[in-house]
Amino acid sequence: MALTDSAIVGFAEAKTALKSGRDIWEFGAEVLSSLIEYTGIEQDEIDGMLINGSMTGAGNPFWSQTTADYLGLELDFCQTVDIGGSSAVGAVARAAAALDAGLCSTILLLNIDTESSEQNARMRSFQDEFTYSHGMIGPPAEFGLLSQRYDHLYGLDFEALAKLAVTQRNHAVMNDKACEKLRKPITVDDYMNSRVIADPIRLLDCVMVCDGGNGLLMTTKKRAKEKGFSKFVVPLGYGERTNYQVANNLTDITETGHLVAGQKAFAQAKLTPKDIGSLQLYDDFLIALIIKLEMLGFAKRGHGADFVKEHNLAHDGDLPLNTGGGQISAGQPGLAGGGVNLIESVRQLMGQGGERQIKNQYLSLVTGIGGIPYGRNWSTSTALILGTEA
Amino acid sequence: MTKSLNDIKSLNDTLSAERSAPRHFSFTEPYWEATKEKKVFLQYCPTTEQYQFHPRPKSIFSGSADLEWREVSGKGSVFTFTIACIGRPPFAEHVPYALVTVELDEGVRVIGNLVDCTPENIKIGMRVKPFWSPLPDGTNLLMFTPDN
Repeated sequence: MALTDSAIVGFAEAKTALKSGRDIWEFGAEVLSSLIEYTGIEQDEIDGMLINGSMTGAGNPFWSQTTADYLGLELDFCQTVDIGGSSAVGAVARAAAALDAGLCSTILLLNIDTESSEQNARMRSFQDEFTYSHGMIGPPAEFGLLSQRYDHLYGLDFEALAKLAVTQRNHAVMNDKACEKLRKPITVDDYMNSRVIADPIRLLDCVMVCDGGNGLLMTTKKRAKEKGFSKFVVPLGYGERTNYQVANNLTDITETGHLVAGQKAFAQAKLTPKDIGSLQLYDDFLIALIIKLEMLGFAKRGHGADFVKEHNLAHDGDLPLNTGGGQISAGQPGLAGGGVNLIESVRQLMGQGGERQIKNQYLSLVTGIGGIPYGRNWSTSTALILGTEA
Repeated sequence: MTKSLNDIKSLNDTLSAERSAPRHFSFTEPYWEATKEKKVFLQYCPTTEQYQFHPRPKSIFSGSADLEWREVSGKGSVFTFTIACIGRPPFAEHVPYALVTVELDEGVRVIGNLVDCTPENIKIGMRVKPFWSPLPDGTNLLMFTPDN
């Protein structure tokens, strides 16, 4: 099977920073150099690249090839993945497909963005006509609408949300790649008292947009073994759904594409949620974690908060969650943000978690959320199960 | 009502915000033309007998590009809402204001501002009707107000 015939042999992450003053391609160079150093794979062995669509690169329709040029890469396969915060996770499946099809043999999965310094995107979509004109402030207001509906149906559990906020922040304090501004412990009271942005969304529900970059190096499992890699990470199951319920005007917005993406990923991996050792779930807002726990089969509908309260989600707990701090406490490097929790998953499975190393280094679930459509929840949902092989 | 909403005593509207008229797509033009006469026009797919919103270049329900424009009342009920407490220009000085997703009686959801409402009154399920706010190009922005 194509997916499981591929191997992630290296990971890299630049330090996330607010208004870093560094060009986006400096982040790309740092990630690539770091991957080459980590894996010992020479630059001229890299013959494929997938890169995320970014807020900074949005004005350049030739983004992947230009970036590869600036990095000095001569490639047989070069592509931008533009499904927003789902791009990084989606790139793993696309890389596996490209490797399986023989389009390339060693592929760089690069995620870079400097959204807090240079935002070049113009949303050519419904926003100008139908949401910005009403003062919708983008994702916080959209998640405000989603959270209010969730509250109406099931009740919002602020204690559970606060627990998520505090747990993730504790992880970020241990993560030297996290944005320095966020590496200060917070309390439940800090969460409860944080100012309202778009009721019921508070400041500490939200990500902070930063600059940063991260990446993976993938090859075929066969080649990884030939090159003598003693440990690598293998994608075991993957699911993706774009525009879930687009043709249902009256859809339940608390139900997301992760319902089908998760089922597909678990079926492909022949695993169930009980098998998963750690969760690295895309977090642009804390409520997304509660909803995803329900969609992915960890909790019944409306009971995601109960699951949060019943489990120890710390790095040394029974089910570690977002052990690098997640995007909410490590910072969201724009549309490279989908790579933050993905890289943390690989880092932990490789046993490189340092003081926040988790015990179970076998199976991890990673998700992505990409884009926010008009009046629904999110545009692309991805779920990826990763395992280790030695 | 959530705990945090208790802290918000009153709501502003955004009627005095200096909005610019948005750029339209060719297939959204009939919607905006109708707003000049304060009429709500929705796209209707005759094949599947459903309305759709926002406007699109084809039916979202089938392969058909055969769509009709039909006038509807614009009345409906609040499906969900949020109170914006921060805003970007030209809305920043108008916070807090209410944004609602309204489920129109014709079975589509529309996002807009809610005016003439207090934080205590705003409820999921409350009935609302159109409220029009003029834009500089002669079109009107569809907002909502309680339909008592």
